[in-house]
Amino acid sequence: MERARLVPLAIAAAVVLALALGPQFLRPSSLYLVSLWAVTAIAAMGLNLTLGYAGQISMAQGAFVGIGAYATAILMQQGVPFPAAFVAAGAICFGVGWLLGYPALRVQHHYLAFVTLAFTTLVYLLLRNEQWLTNGVYGISGIQRPVLFGVSFAKSADYYYFCLGMLAIFLGAMWWMIRSPWGRAFMVLRENPVRAMSLGVDTRRYTLLAFAIGSSIGGFAGGLFAPLVQFLEPGSFSLGYSLSLLLMVIVGGSGYLLGPLVGAMVAVLLPEFLRFTQGYYLLLYAAAVMILMTFCPQGLIGMAERIAAALRRRRTTATTGTH
Amino acid sequence: MAPVLEVKDIHKSFGGIVAVDGVSFSVDEGEIVGIIGPNGSGKSTLFNCVLGQLQPTSGEIRVDGKVTTGMRPCDLNALGVSRTFQLLQVFPELTVKDNLIAAGQEHRGSMLSRLFGPPDAGLGAAADRMIEFFRLSHVAGERAGRLSYGQQKLLDAAMAFMGGPRLVLLDEPAGGVNLTMLADLRERLRAINREMRATFVVIEHNMDFVMSLCTRVLVLAEGRIIAEGDPASIRNNPKVVEAYLGP
Repeated sequence: MERARLVPLAIAAAVVLALALGPQFLRPSSLYLVSLWAVTAIAAMGLNLTLGYAGQISMAQGAFVGIGAYATAILMQQGVPFPAAFVAAGAICFGVGWLLGYPALRVQHHYLAFVTLAFTTLVYLLLRNEQWLTNGVYGISGIQRPVLFGVSFAKSADYYYFCLGMLAIFLGAMWWMIRSPWGRAFMVLRENPVRAMSLGVDTRRYTLLAFAIGSSIGGFAGGLFAPLVQFLEPGSFSLGYSLSLLLMVIVGGSGYLLGPLVGAMVAVLLPEFLRFTQGYYLLLYAAAVMILMTFCPQGLIGMAERIAAALRRRRTTATTGTH
Repeated sequence: MAPVLEVKDIHKSFGGIVAVDGVSFSVDEGEIVGIIGPNGSGKSTLFNCVLGQLQPTSGEIRVDGKVTTGMRPCDLNALGVSRTFQLLQVFPELTVKDNLIAAGQEHRGSMLSRLFGPPDAGLGAAADRMIEFFRLSHVAGERAGRLSYGQQKLLDAAMAFMGGPRLVLLDEPAGGVNLTMLADLRERLRAINREMRATFVVIEHNMDFVMSLCTRVLVLAEGRIIAEGDPASIRNNPKVVEAYLGP
């Protein structure tokens, strides 16, 4: 029992320490990648709420990151300070996500997937065609890194800490929400909506909330994404990005708090480590996902949990065996 | 005082098929009313109309004097109307205890207090008592999907009582439950009826169970009530025998 709790704690401590010391030994390009991982993990965390906990499939998370990123960039160019633009990005996505939740009250599963897929395409077309607002295919460049309370986060290492700090905040908030009665309500919505309704769970309200909160977290991730990359173009937020976020949630382990962090790591960092395979990376990734989904649909965190349980069982049989 | 449940002239048809054809009855506080009838007599449709799962074609339903026709199940539940299901309806991935907390949490506090307040919505102790009452202590931490059929049936029943309901509609509580557990279930239900002043309406096929549990029995055939009375008089009513066995 003691060791079962110590091992994950030790891993967590090592990861936090390595991240804290990152700028000491990482190249700027690597710092950028880890920052991108943090931002992507936040976006995936939002989708994990909608899909993993509340059971509502969405292929629109990438579009919400796009809306959040563009909202932040456009507002900042109008002279709005970063904190206000960032909050606005989350608020806009909360509203739009709430509206996108309405179809989910009528359709489920792959029909809902198609509705959200159409929404993603719509957002992409708006970003590309509404040149007066988004500058179309030319994109928005020269997005500034934030300055908060007189402290500038312009340098890569500083913005790296900023992104990681945000990831920690969102992770903490998500952890709190999931263990609160809200989290339980989202899960019973996924498990059995008819039964949930008979127990007083307002399934309509929670479905809309799941969409709105998940989408707003996507919007916040977009708000961090814009100053990170400093250049936005519509192509980054096409359907492929939404699908990739969906894959991260599922590969990491949907419905697990840390699933999106692991999934984003696989999607963002692994390609760099597998550079030596040259063009074969996607092939390897695709094959690995197929194998994982066949043998462990609960994703990597689910697999780790399974292995840990097997080890515990083995140890208890070993100790009882010596008696 | 108004009856806990009043059903007035409920009709429900699906296309040309009339499932419930003018049913009226009322249930007073503390009663355990059984509804029996052959397959297809309209019991489940009637139940679903009362519970807001189906919209009656015409007629009116009142709970504690308040018109509830057409209300959503979750709003009805907020008024104190709870139910169990014929087929198992638990939350398989949640633990037994979380199933019970989920079953009661929407009755506690506001949306805000449920986000910022204690994770168990202050129901931890109540859930533990319910677990003990239904003798599920040894599986309290298990995921509900791993319990045996009988244990899930008990959990399903226990969940209906977590919100402190006024009125509980039990849909075939004895279905698929073995004889020992059946006697146990009957005692649990009687105790809750007594202690919580909860009023029950029960649909059931198991005659012995209905006759020994209920204080009053309604007999439904072809969408109408054909007999009503205490268990002994129903047992000897020729109309009831005819409805079940044919003329």
